Order: sequence, then C-alpha cells, then structure tokens
Amino acid sequence: MTSALLLVKISWRNLWRNPRGTLLTVLAVGLGLAFLLISLGLLDGGHEQTIADGVRLGPGHVVIQAKGYQDTGSDELLLPAGVVSTIEGFVQTGTMKQVVRGVSPRLLANGLLSSSANAAGVRVIGVIPQDERAVSLIPQRIVEGTYLSNDRLFGIVLGAALARKLEVKIGSKVVLMTQALRQPDTETKNDARVEMQSTLLRVSGIFRTGLQSVDANIVYLPLFAAQKLLGVADGRVTQVALLLEQEGDSPLVARALQKQLMGASVEVLTWRESLPMLAQILGLDHAFNYIMNGVILAMVGLGILNTILMRVLERQYEFGVCKALGLRPRQLAGIVIGESLALTAISLAFGLALGLSVHHYFATSGLDLRWVFRTGLPSALVFDPILYSRLSLNRIVWSFSIVFMMATIISFYPALKAARTELPDALKLL
Amino acid sequence: MTEWAVELKGVRKTYRTGPIEVPALRDVSLRIAVGEFAATAGPSGSGKTTLLNIIGGLDRADSGEIWVAGQNLQLLSSGQLAHLRLQRIGFVFQTYNLLPVLTALENAEFTLLLQSVPARKRREKVEKLFLEIGLGGLEDRRPAELSGGQQQRVAVARAMVTEPALILADEPTANLDSATAISLLDVMEHLNRATGTTFIFSTHDPQVMERAHRLIRLRDGQIASDEARGRQGGVLL
Repeated sequence: MTSALLLVKISWRNLWRNPRGTLLTVLAVGLGLAFLLISLGLLDGGHEQTIADGVRLGPGHVVIQAKGYQDTGSDELLLPAGVVSTIEGFVQTGTMKQVVRGVSPRLLANGLLSSSANAAGVRVIGVIPQDERAVSLIPQRIVEGTYLSNDRLFGIVLGAALARKLEVKIGSKVVLMTQALRQPDTETKNDARVEMQSTLLRVSGIFRTGLQSVDANIVYLPLFAAQKLLGVADGRVTQVALLLEQEGDSPLVARALQKQLMGASVEVLTWRESLPMLAQILGLDHAFNYIMNGVILAMVGLGILNTILMRVLERQYEFGVCKALGLRPRQLAGIVIGESLALTAISLAFGLALGLSVHHYFATSGLDLRWVFRTGLPSALVFDPILYSRLSLNRIVWSFSIVFMMATIISFYPALKAARTELPDALKLL
Repeated sequence: MTEWAVELKGVRKTYRTGPIEVPALRDVSLRIAVGEFAATAGPSGSGKTTLLNIIGGLDRADSGEIWVAGQNLQLLSSGQLAHLRLQRIGFVFQTYNLLPVLTALENAEFTLLLQSVPARKRREKVEKLFLEIGLGGLEDRRPAELSGGQQQRVAVARAMVTEPALILADEPTANLDSATAISLLDVMEHLNRATGTTFIFSTHDPQVMERAHRLIRLRDGQIASDEARGRQGGVLL
C-alpha cells in the first residue's frame, strides 16, 4: 500500500465516523441530482411533446410558403403548383426520403360558416386528406364521425367548440362562405374584387384538441373543394407543410429545400421561425428551469461545503497531529478532497439510481397533469397533458458531471483549510 | 568527542496575544547528547511544552539557534521541517493522538507508509516492535478498543518504528494510572537502551522524573537546574 492508498483509506473510513451526517449529506446531494435528472427529463419530454403537437397542429417542422406570407399573413400569396411538385419530388430523393415523414399542401383562407342555428368566422384549411393524415394531429383527435376522405368531396371537419356553437352534429349541413382569392390572372382591368362564394358542405367529423383557439375556429375541407370555393386555379396552395422523423433535422431539411427552390419566390421556415411564440415560450421555460436547477445545485453545494467544512474544523487537532508526524499540507488536502469525492461518489450513485428510476416510471407511465388543467389548456400552449420523460445520455452525463464538478470544487476550500493547519496551535486545541 | 542530538543556543520565544506578551523561553541554551533519556520538568507555564515544540520543529523560536540531527531548524522551510520530523523525529503526545479510523497496526505503520517503506518490511518492523512492547495480538484493534496505556504504547511504537534519532514525548504518562505509567516508562527506557535513540520528555510526574537519566528543570522560561542522574550526562552551556 502506498501513502496515496493510505490517504484513500483514511478518507473512506473518516466518512463513516459520523454515519448519520454522511447519510444525510448523501441524501441531500443524491436528491439534488435525482431532482435535476427528473426535472430535465420532464422538461425535455414536455418540450418534445409540445413541439411534436405544436407542429402537427400547425405548419409542420418545416413549411414552404410564398415569400412574404409569414410577415403579412396575406392569403392571396400562393405557391405555384410547380413549386409544390418540386417539393414533393425532392422529398422522395436520397436521404430526404428517410428524414421526411409526411408532406401536406394546404390552402388557407378566412370564411364564415353558417348552420341553421348560428354562424361563426372560421379559418379554412383545404387539405389532401391522405397527405394531411401523415402530417396533422387532427385526424387522431376526431371524437365524432370520421376524418375527411377523397371520396367525400363536400365533407367538412370542425372542432367540438365550433360544432357546439353552430349546434351541428355528424351529417349536418353547413354553408361556408368566403371571398374568392384575388389572383394576378383573374384581376379585372379596374381591379374589382371577385365576389363572395359559398358552398354547401356536410359535417363528416368533429375533433377536440383541448385548445380553444383550434377547436372553435378551424375547419378542414378537401383541397379540391377549397380551391374551387376560393377560385384558385392551377393547383396553387398557401403552404406545403413537412413533418420530419426528428425535430432536430428541421434546419438541415430547411437548408436543403432552400437550395432546391433557389430562384423561386418562396420562404422556407423551420418551426422555430413559423411558430416564434412557441419557440420563445420553450426558451423561457428552459431558462426558468436552468435557474431553478441552479438554485437547487447551490443549495446542494452549500450542504456539501457545510458537511466537509464542519468535519475539517472538528478535526483540526487530528490534522495537527498528522502534520506533526510529517504529513505534508498537500497530503492533508488530499485526505479532505478524497473524503469529499467519496461522499460525492456515493451521493451520485444514489441520486443516479433514484433519478433514473423515477425517470423510467415517467417515461413509461407518464406524469398526468390533467388535474392541473381541468379548465382547459392555456391558449398559447399546445401539449398533451400527460408528460412523458425523455432523457438523453448527454443530459445524464451533463447532470452527473456538473454535480461532481461542483462537489469537487467546493471541497477545495475545506481542503485548503486543512492544509493550512497551523502548528502548534492545532495541537493546543485539546 | 560527544555527539549532540540536540543543541540550543540562546533560544528565545515570546507569545503575543494582542498587546500582551508572554515570554515562554528566555535565552535557553542546552545540549543533549545522542542516546540520552532526559526529562524536562517544571510548573505549568514554565516553558516545557514550548521547548519540546521548538526542538521538534513544530514551532519556531524568535531568536537563537536550534540544531537537531545536524541541521539548524531556524534555516529550514516548513516543508523541510516536515521532512525532518518524518525522517528523524518521533512524537508521543499526552493524549495519545492515534488516528481513530486506523487500527493499532495501521497507526503504528503510519509514518512508515509516509516514508514509502514496502509493505512486508513495514509489517515485520511493526509486529516485532509490538511484541517487544507488549502489544502482540492487538494489531487489528481500533484506538477506541484499547486502554489508555495500550494506546500510548501504540503511540510510542508509531514514534519508534521509523528508528528516529530523537523522540519527543510531551507528558506521556499524564493520562495514565501509576502502574501503567511505570510500565510505559519501562518500555521507553528499554527502547532507549536497546536502540540508542535519544528521548526527551516533559513531565509533572515525580516517578517519571525519578526514571530520567537527566532532569532539566525549567522556571519562567529559563533553565533552573540541569541534573545528570544516570548513565549519561547532560551539558548546560
């Protein structure tokens, strides 16, 4: 056994001189790490779900629109059919085929939906049913009837809140009135607007997302019917929404599409650009979580500092004896750092086991937050109220490392204190 | 020609607490020959412990020269002093001061470990010494499982095992009963005779003073008397 091993032995045995104190510290540090892992798991899982739901209720991970649409919101800005077919062709090539899960062209406009009982302003979205199924969350949120299909050209799908307002049910007739979209080739010489158009539709499905803004405002109808109603010729659409296999590929796909569509008057946006509010909310949530975790880590750090410092101060006389016997200051510091590292190692093992166990439970069974949102989800947020924890290896390594580093750095002060034990003052303490 | 284990020349030490100055040693000069078994005695505050601390390099004198094992301690850095203590000086404290987390054997071999002595040699030396001083069979006990006398013997073993030139013992029998104190003195004297190691200890105990071969009495930080009583004689400069 070398003197280094002796120091390790002394450090380890010193830990158990006060087992209650050691176990309390292990509990505090371990719970700190466990809390860090659990909160990061739920945060990442929640964000992943929120993004997944948000993009599937909105413009997808990547959206291609006519240039200026994002800023103006003008429904008259349309994508030519050629662009749509270029996109559809491109996503079928090479790696894009593996990265892109679905492509859905959409035509968007405002309208007035009337039933025999009531009328409401709505956002109209014309879609190709089988394409939209691969991209949108709405087909999965149908609570009555069925989603649109290609053989029912005059079907309409609307939200539960809107159906309640209009007092309609499956099979009910509704009239959708819109103003035909002005297009360059349909403009008259005196720039007169095209007149109002209306069409009779039959309710084929009712969905419920839990989001009031969606359930009370949005209606889906077949793209063909929407184009006809809005007077849009030549297969033009407002946007093409892409759903990807992985959210992280969004910038990559957007860049590839920008390159592919170079020269066309289009804008290719990732969800962070097309849904800036969602991105900001998630960013704020991240920042708040980091602050919370920082506070918890600081408390855990102070706990470690207090434990180790108390142990050092209690043993000034012992350190004095060691120094008198010939132990060098750096060896005394080594004993204290070794003690702190051993304490941290036990704490981290406990914290890791606890944190990963709870994470596993939340990853498989989920954390049900429906009791928090009994009155409905906040309008700015879109997420499933059952949170599933997601922890990447990076997150685990990061959490583990930060607690370990913090504990190690914190132990330097008590170690310095031990190393600076003054002789013979220390020997006079008893 | 006499070889000196310790030589002090005009050593002064004053403790300062705020504006109050307490002189602990006043111009102390002293020579202790190699192999002596010497005691310092005197009332509390007479400077016994300060004298041992300064000889052991645990404290520094304000002025004067302190020569131990051929080195002037006043010129050594704290690292060099630590090295000297580890290699050449053994300490026995009044309250034993064994490390509570180590066994008797580990405590005794503590300084050997710091000297990086190989395991087999370490064990051989400690076990031999344990048998010699009546600690055989107690190797694996922790200090809390030993009596005061046994703990002090382990402390003596720890001080002796590195074969130092000098052993300093600050009131080693103060916490022991009379019979145990005599037994410990037997051990120390035996080691002194057997190895020729120089022993200097401070004491209040008349029976310890009786056993010393040289008795140096201190009063108010000065040597009041220096009495050779056994086989070796001391020299008061």
